[in-house]
Amino acid sequence: MRESKHKVGLIFFPAFDWAISPDHPEREERLLYTRDQIMEEGLFDIPGIEEFRPAIASDAQINRTHICVPSTSEVITESHRIAAGGTITAADLVLNGEVDRSFALLRPPGHHAMRVVHGSRGFCVVNNEAIMVEHIRHTYGPNLRIAIVDTDAHHGDGTQDIFYNDPGVLHISLHQDGRTLYPGSGFMNERGGPAAYGQTINVPLPPGTGDEGILYVLEHLVLPILAEFEPDVIVNAAGQDNHYTDPLTNMNFTAQGYARLTELLSPDIVVLEGGYSIEGALPYVNAGLILALAGLDYSAAREPDWSEDKVKQSPRVTEAVKGIVGQLQRMWSTRHDVDLGAVFGTGRVFERRRQIYYDTDGIMEEQLEHIRLCPNCSGWRSIYSGATRGLGRATLIAAVLIPWHCCPQCRREAENRHDANAAESRFRHVYLQDVEKDVFIGS
Amino acid sequence: MYIIGIDVGGTNTDVALIKDDVVVATGKVPTDHDNLAESTAAALECILDTYSGQESLKLHLSTTLCTNTIIEGKGEPTAVLAVPGPGMRIEDLGLGFAVQILEGSVDHRGREVAGISISEVHDALKAASAEGTAALAIVGKFSHRNPAQELAIEEVAKNAYPEFRHITLGHRLSGRPNFPRRLSTSYLNAGVAKTQARFVDMIQRVMVRGKDIGPVFVLKADGGTMTLEDSLIRPVETILSGPAASIMGARALTAYPKENAVIVDIGGTTTDIAVQIGGEAVFQRQGAEIAGHRTLVPALFARSIGLGGDSEIRVLSEEADSGTARLEIGPKRAGIPAALGGSRATPTDAAVTLGLASIGDVERARKAVAIIGVELGYGIEEAARAIIDAFTNKLTKEIEDTYAYLESRPVYTVSELLASPDIRPKAIIGLGGPAHVFIPKAAEAIGLAWEVLPRYQEANAIGSGASRPTAAVTLHADTALGTITVPEMDYVGKLRTKRLFDLEKARTDARQWAYKKGRSLGITSLEDIVIIEEESFNMVRGFYTTGRIFTIRAQVRPDVRRVRAAKIGGRSQ
Ligand SMILES: [Zn+2]
Ligand SMILES: [Zn+2]
Repeated sequence: MRESKHKVGLIFFPAFDWAISPDHPEREERLLYTRDQIMEEGLFDIPGIEEFRPAIASDAQINRTHICVPSTSEVITESHRIAAGGTITAADLVLNGEVDRSFALLRPPGHHAMRVVHGSRGFCVVNNEAIMVEHIRHTYGPNLRIAIVDTDAHHGDGTQDIFYNDPGVLHISLHQDGRTLYPGSGFMNERGGPAAYGQTINVPLPPGTGDEGILYVLEHLVLPILAEFEPDVIVNAAGQDNHYTDPLTNMNFTAQGYARLTELLSPDIVVLEGGYSIEGALPYVNAGLILALAGLDYSAAREPDWSEDKVKQSPRVTEAVKGIVGQLQRMWSTRHDVDLGAVFGTGRVFERRRQIYYDTDGIMEEQLEHIRLCPNCSGWRSIYSGATRGLGRATLIAAVLIPWHCCPQCRREAENRHDANAAESRFRHVYLQDVEKDVFIGS
Repeated sequence: MYIIGIDVGGTNTDVALIKDDVVVATGKVPTDHDNLAESTAAALECILDTYSGQESLKLHLSTTLCTNTIIEGKGEPTAVLAVPGPGMRIEDLGLGFAVQILEGSVDHRGREVAGISISEVHDALKAASAEGTAALAIVGKFSHRNPAQELAIEEVAKNAYPEFRHITLGHRLSGRPNFPRRLSTSYLNAGVAKTQARFVDMIQRVMVRGKDIGPVFVLKADGGTMTLEDSLIRPVETILSGPAASIMGARALTAYPKENAVIVDIGGTTTDIAVQIGGEAVFQRQGAEIAGHRTLVPALFARSIGLGGDSEIRVLSEEADSGTARLEIGPKRAGIPAALGGSRATPTDAAVTLGLASIGDVERARKAVAIIGVELGYGIEEAARAIIDAFTNKLTKEIEDTYAYLESRPVYTVSELLASPDIRPKAIIGLGGPAHVFIPKAAEAIGLAWEVLPRYQEANAIGSGASRPTAAVTLHADTALGTITVPEMDYVGKLRTKRLFDLEKARTDARQWAYKKGRSLGITSLEDIVIIEEESFNMVRGFYTTGRIFTIRAQVRPDVRRVRAAKIGGRSQ
């Protein structure tokens, strides 16, 4: 068999015995046909493509990213630990130099899971990529620059939330316009927090965007930005629900388009996100993606029912995409000229209030967040969060986050705040998450 | 009851006569490749004196014939017609043989997506026929889910092109996925069919001439047997039966038949490591590999390493903390041991030097080992001990690597990932000439019980005789489509009562099919059929359950006849 150009590690874990519920899209059957296709294609026999077992993520690894309420072990299942652990394995394989690239082809997905986790939203509980990013920085160096390109049809709102004030991470999300699809966010004006302004880039695409449009965004926006950001690691959050057969979305992406995207992007690590056309899309998209990742010819990897008419992008969409790209190019190139004082205020802290809905679990969260506007570091953060299930009483928690490269002043303030939180009886739980010292306190 | 086990190897033809559970005679004749019938007959002759002629007699044959034919590239020219549909390009598969690509396509659930073109099939067959090809392989992607296109092409070939005497269809060889492997397996099968046919013909003549021999069984790569008739249809399954015979011999003779154990066969050039878990041999994950071809032929797992009694010994110049660590043994062969007239020291010479083996000339062995000693700055005995230790270290490391590899084999369910069974060995079953030198030391290093089987030279023939029938089927049912297939049995059916077809029914059906396949092999009870893999998926479309998918693999319970032969053994603790 032709040897792959790039050595690829595949962490394939279809979790054939786990479902959110029997008829949920995130069910046992989801990767069955993908398994059948890649086995039948003999992809695991290609010299240079190797399969690996996923690791199982520990509480400590998850707690570097999340504040799980009440605790990590109480909100996640073993399947989530394996999905996060498999993503960590994908990172280790690449960063150890064992393979050139890796693909965590596993479930359940994670990109809708935010920093604070009260339950499951958008089929996600914990954020696989984010947990992996913290593992990378913890294990291989806190100064590694990481770019996440999220190509799922849904806005990667969880990942955006986790890294929106993180200067070490660039987050680009390409998705169907939030006015027409869950989670209803991901607009161009969401650009990141005071310490990482401009490093959150949202590309809301009109319904009907196909290969042409997505590849246009890649070539004219994503690749130039990556070239400028100079990441050490490129991660592709590879949701496959932008496929023309997906039942939940209205996009027109194909297996060929996905393979080409992979070839152009040259990601170090690919992580499966959504994608629920389990028969018509996933088997073919994944086969094409794996071939492209390995640097092999993928020209014959297409859907059996593919036809040009089916996936043609309308001229109106093409124009719209060009317009969006033009605007985002300008925003990127002028990001340093923006007066941050006008955006975040000139006080000691920036405050944001949000409501977050957990569709899968039916939870409403109210969140108040303070970011210390610090001239010496990205600033410590304080989060107050109350979650209500149905008509029940809200559970109120307080969390303090100490970022990478935290200045001594911020660290003191943060630790004091945590002590003060702990002394207050109105908080059911208080947390301190210190990524820099790798300390997590939850009580 | 008597069984004759024969292993026709590359150099020798070994034979063993088993009476009930005792090896009563063994023999050996040189293999005559130009006249296999003669040398096989000679092997039979040398033990038939022991046979009274009163009781029933079975013959188990393991032959390297197809293996050699493939390795030497002497198979019949074979035309391969493939229906790949979309996916990986055939030219990237690196198959090592030409493939004629035909229109048509079947998807992962076995639905026909694009039809074949009969006129294109005719063109392809005409072209192959014009080249004088007599062997034909027809292989479709996903043909294990729906063989209709393969069957349609076969029909054209059979009706209009009688010149194709050996036709192999991919789906009949295996119910497992992997199109490239299905292509290779089918190609090899069609290519060796004529060779096997000639061999079977010879065997039948030998039998007529000899005494009244009962049914003849042929050994396969999975360490089981099939009928002589089946070997004409699926000759490719006889590849690598020699190594399988040795493993089966070890399993027939071992004192650890039901435990987790590692079988280590130390030869002159290589050491082969096989694994037994709870009394069953471990299989290759997908299938045998031979001469660069990856196949779907079920095969016993064996890891072959370049380490043996005749291995080359090199002294590394780098500083290391001990002489042992400075020694590199294998993977190349040095030649015959110095004790036997070779020019360089080998591990065998180290054993001879220390009086652990009595082979050839001790003085020659000592002289050769002394040269290594000078390089290390050691005396002769010290150098010999360092060589033995280096060999043992490499062996234990390879055993550890083997288990690490097996334990890292992927699993696809949460329960399997969380609760992996304990496969670690409790004992080393050693065989091969140098085994008695190294196995006790390796066992001590790992902390295992050990035994060395004394009749290692006949283990292959004993294993051939002690082997039992194996046969497996794969049942795939899709209640939404209302289809049920058992490719190995060439069965495609419609589910009449989709709603009533459940997992229990799927299991029952699969067992029945395996039983049907096993009957020709002498299986007389459904009790001997076991289910080894099963999958059951609910299919949900638009929030409604539309059907279920079942894949059940059932097989004749693999077994080995336990036989007795004197042996030595011990425990390390
Ligand atoms: Zn999605
Ligand atoms: Zn600070």
